[in-house]
Amino acid sequence: MAKLLKVINRDQCIGCLSCMFACSKTWNKALTTNKARLSVRVYPDAEGAFSIRICYGCKHPDCADACPTDALIPREGGGVEFNQSECIHCGECIDACVPHALLWDEENKIPLVCFHCGMCASFCPNNVIKLVEVEA
Amino acid sequence: MKHNFYMLDIDLSSETSKTVDITDLFDKWIGGAGVATKLLIDSVPPSADPLSEDNVVIFAIGPLNNQFPVMTKTTAMFKSPLTGDLGESHAGGNFGLALYQAGFHALRIRGKAKHFSYIKIKNDQVEIIKSDSLKNMTATATRRIFMDIYGKEHMQSVLRIGPAGERLSPIACLCVDASRHFGRLGLGAVFGSKNLKALLISGDKYWTLPKTKYNKLYKNIFKEVTQSEIMKKYHDLGTAVNVIPLSKINGLPVRNYSQGFFESAENISGEAMANKHLAQKIACAGCPVGCIHLGDVREMFEAKHHMYKTKRVSYDHEPIYAMGSNLSISSSDTVLKLLHKSEREGWDVISIGVTLAWATEAFQKRLITEEETDGEILNFGDGETYLRILDKISEGVNEFYKDLEKGTAFCAKKYGGEDFAIVFNKNEAPGYLTGIMAFIGYATDTRHSHLGNGGYAMDQKPNIKELSTEDKVKALYEEGIWRILSTSLSACLFSRHIYNKPEIIPDMLKSLDICDLSDEELLKKARIIHGMKYKFKFECGFKLENIKLPEKLLHVMTATGKLKQEEFEKSLELFSQYVKDDVKLYEEVEGQQKH
Repeated sequence: MAKLLKVINRDQCIGCLSCMFACSKTWNKALTTNKARLSVRVYPDAEGAFSIRICYGCKHPDCADACPTDALIPREGGGVEFNQSECIHCGECIDACVPHALLWDEENKIPLVCFHCGMCASFCPNNVIKLVEVEA
Repeated sequence: MKHNFYMLDIDLSSETSKTVDITDLFDKWIGGAGVATKLLIDSVPPSADPLSEDNVVIFAIGPLNNQFPVMTKTTAMFKSPLTGDLGESHAGGNFGLALYQAGFHALRIRGKAKHFSYIKIKNDQVEIIKSDSLKNMTATATRRIFMDIYGKEHMQSVLRIGPAGERLSPIACLCVDASRHFGRLGLGAVFGSKNLKALLISGDKYWTLPKTKYNKLYKNIFKEVTQSEIMKKYHDLGTAVNVIPLSKINGLPVRNYSQGFFESAENISGEAMANKHLAQKIACAGCPVGCIHLGDVREMFEAKHHMYKTKRVSYDHEPIYAMGSNLSISSSDTVLKLLHKSEREGWDVISIGVTLAWATEAFQKRLITEEETDGEILNFGDGETYLRILDKISEGVNEFYKDLEKGTAFCAKKYGGEDFAIVFNKNEAPGYLTGIMAFIGYATDTRHSHLGNGGYAMDQKPNIKELSTEDKVKALYEEGIWRILSTSLSACLFSRHIYNKPEIIPDMLKSLDICDLSDEELLKKARIIHGMKYKFKFECGFKLENIKLPEKLLHVMTATGKLKQEEFEKSLELFSQYVKDDVKLYEEVEGQQKH
């Protein structure tokens, strides 16, 4: 069984960004929200409503299809694995992800690929995100 | 790794900006309120006109901001157009995080923009952009516009004033992101006087994770914040939970402080708001509590076709007092509608609410008549009239309405009724009729806020009546000093029961290699900062002995009985000694530095 992150209670989000802090710290050793592999966005025109963009765990990922090299490889169970040495920093993958769930590391010019580790979910105070088991 | 701290210094007049290393200021004055005060007094002569280009706006966060839960505030310092001395206000939202991610712990805005403009900051890139189209736009609409334009930046902060700030109302606030405010003491007018409508900030700088026990400390605090009972009040009903208990003890101001019991408290309580209006709760960036309560109020605007509109606005105890009990408004719908108007216009809601309460009493005592009010009959409890009055202030229909947004003290001086103008150093009082300590607290706090020392909470302690005046003043002073430490770290004061424990703050500072100071050493710095703040106030002409207890309060039954003028005066005298000692401490420290 593989594990994937899922947004299970989007409308319970309070926008504290604790998930983004946790992700940036865990995978980039960075005290920021800008290195997170997910984002919490505020809707324009509806104060206080949030949209959580997290890797959707696609079976046939658009980001991998768009990658001109083999830097992004479909991952067992959904989502992608990132082979940094193959990355040519073109950003095609980011544009291909329609909901902008794949984020871009401005500093290193690489995609911030979600590992579906569940660290973000463990810092969510309101049970918005959950790591669930899926068929491989 | 030892961190450096930087300030972004913007001069609107010359349209230039530069990055300044202010690590030495953080070493000496902790951060937040401490560093911001120092930057203010070094930038603004005490004689400066608050609404001239000589005034500056300083924003600062603390060294722990964004690194620990609930370390979310930003401190603003400026010369206040309301009091004419130290202007200090604190706000949450995303601003503290956006400032840090832009690479700064402080921001200074000087001079005056040539045109009506907004500032756009991305890291150290600053643009001053002419924006005539935003003139007279509500604070809420202004945010929508900027989210529309710059919505792709998922972490940014939007500060803006409403039309009240543009009109230089000294009770205008500066709005931050979703329903947060630098509310008190007129920062909105200072922005307006600089031709500034808004400020947008974002960036991609960060500190790296230290190889210390930081992670463990963060996890422990996160767990305490989210799982213990300490923060329950704030993420449950929010501060509005105070409404009924305060009324029950005769501590909730009603009809311009005529009494402390509100017969309709249950209609506008935290419980009523949650049952009837609460749409959702949201948080400041980096705070898992989520104390911001947003309430919806639905209004039919055309019966024939069942046409409805819905307003959404945040509520808390203070706004409910100011637009609710103190105006005798018994409908939660009306309270939210009044708050929504204030939010759009960009007034500090406590100040405008207290001014409406003063105006009502002045009208009833015939100090003002229908001639001034443009035919309006002011009655406590008449929400529809208050809604119209807010519109008339916005429109500036006559001199009286233009005066109302200059605040209670201004109006009482001009029209009479100073005895029932509930202000302390011209600042309209927050929502407590708990007893003498609340008012001594407002009088002695450098920003005349209830949050500066929590006097209202002291009034409610069971043993308060057993303490001597000396002991009470000492306790008030000591609480105030701890809170200066807290605001110099730019922590949210709602987290005081998490962080006001021995060794926690020193441990956090050490874990990020900021400094290795004990609680005692940090509190000594806070005392020196207290002295620094007071010195600036004195240089601006402030005198503690000039603060009077509004006479009306002497005739009202508070939660702890009748107030005594002698006790108020004696307390101020006792407090003066602490102030003198702290000013001396500050002068000694600054003297040493100069030699």
